[in-house]
Amino acid sequence: MISAAVLRAVASLTRARAAHTAPLAVRCFSHAKVETDEEFDSRWVTYFSKPDLDAWELRKGMNTLIGYDLVPEPKILASALRACRRLDDLASAIRILEAVKDKSGPHQEIYPYVIQELGPTLQELGISTPEELGIHTV
Amino acid sequence: MSLAKPAMRGLLAKRLRFHLPIAFALSLVAAAAFKYGVTEPRKKAYADFYKEYDAMKEFNAMREAGIFESVRPSGE
Repeated sequence: MISAAVLRAVASLTRARAAHTAPLAVRCFSHAKVETDEEFDSRWVTYFSKPDLDAWELRKGMNTLIGYDLVPEPKILASALRACRRLDDLASAIRILEAVKDKSGPHQEIYPYVIQELGPTLQELGISTPEELGIHTV
Repeated sequence: MSLAKPAMRGLLAKRLRFHLPIAFALSLVAAAAFKYGVTEPRKKAYADFYKEYDAMKEFNAMREAGIFESVRPSGE
């Protein structure tokens, strides 16, 4: 995804903001249909909503999602957390929260916002945040 | 007091868009600085040395110093 991000950055230097925010591998001058952010989000919400999603598919989905140049939307994360609940996987649920923090990088306003938006879901599923467990520092 | 939604997409692209031109520019500056600070003075030093270089004179000086085996100093 680095190459996609570099391509996008270079493209945005030479052209207007055409596909600037699309996280998928959008080639600069290809005629492929560009997926909107909303389509991307719903595709991923649907992916994690599969009732018989197995553990491998959960991990695969999360790893693929983490590879993109974006922090996943709270609604995608909520769907993934529910999948963790169906799979009785609390560890992965907390790991997902840690991954959000890591993906934010230097942008420290993203993680508190995501936790705020996920509040009801975390409450409902009984998931503690890394901060609540005291495992947020090295 | 709920937090506003921050930008969550394209953060790396934004960072690269800012830093890549600077990185390229700095690399070119570094290369130019090395070329004109090191290689060109070095090439000039060699050219200046060899412009008035007299190989026979240097050879005779070495000969008189007695360092050769194939030709002895002119006095012997």
